Amino acid sequence: MQEKKTMTLNLSEAEMQTLDELSVKKDLSKTAVLRQALRLYQTIEARLDLGHKLFIEDSAQNDKSELMLL
Amino acid sequence: MNQGGLPVFLTDALSGDGVPATLVTQIGEQQISDWHDYWRPALEETLARLRVIGVPRARWPQTTHWNWESKTKQVVGLLAFRGFAITSQGVTQGLMRVDLNHSGRQATQIGKPLVYVEYLEVAPWNRAEFAKPRYRGVGTALLTAAVDLSLEEGFHGRIGLHSLTQAESFYRDACGMSDLGIDENYDNLRYFEMTSEQATAFLG
Repeated sequence: MQEKKTMTLNLSEAEMQTLDELSVKKDLSKTAVLRQALRLYQTIEARLDLGHKLFIEDSAQNDKSELMLL
Repeated sequence: MNQGGLPVFLTDALSGDGVPATLVTQIGEQQISDWHDYWRPALEETLARLRVIGVPRARWPQTTHWNWESKTKQVVGLLAFRGFAITSQGVTQGLMRVDLNHSGRQATQIGKPLVYVEYLEVAPWNRAEFAKPRYRGVGTALLTAAVDLSLEEGFHGRIGLHSLTQAESFYRDACGMSDLGIDENYDNLRYFEMTSEQATAFLG
């Protein structure tokens, strides 16, 4: 088991509700959802740093748009 | 998972005896060094022998172009990627890289996170193509590590992978994974998934 560090996270009602919903939808604990989000965020940032772009595609509507991350 | 290594057992292919080994939860300098110093020459030796005895190229090992040094460097520092190695007798016997950013495709677990096995390779001398394979069980030990990681991450044992054609029967028959068919978007390789229930059966 990798060593873990603990932090306190303050979330708004809406944020907590979203976390609850994702937790159910993804069959993950809330902690696992946040860890998964962190991995994904870092992966995307690493690709953007390489000059890659992130697109969202709706093939049914033949619509493709770039997703801009702050 | 323990960073220092966990004990596992392989099987001596000749005698059938158990062989102590270690699961290392990272691919470090030692593993890359072993790949350069032992794997590459053994692979060249294997290919030379296959050429001499006239084995068609289609039946040669399909991982000959894999470069573990670059595969490791590509993902240094990225949380989503993990490397694993099996070592025994002081030498790396198998390597695996996994990605935690993937989701299930099977109806019962669609959209749910799983451990995606990107690359899994056993040392050339442990492969069937080698003149006298040395150890058995390296692939199983690595896949077990992927399932264990899935459990540890709260993914309930779910894993997925695209299989090279030579390994399809291993994943389907030996590991009990679901065959979800050819993936036209991934080099026409066959995609396999293991559900939570299949993971429990696999771990025994």
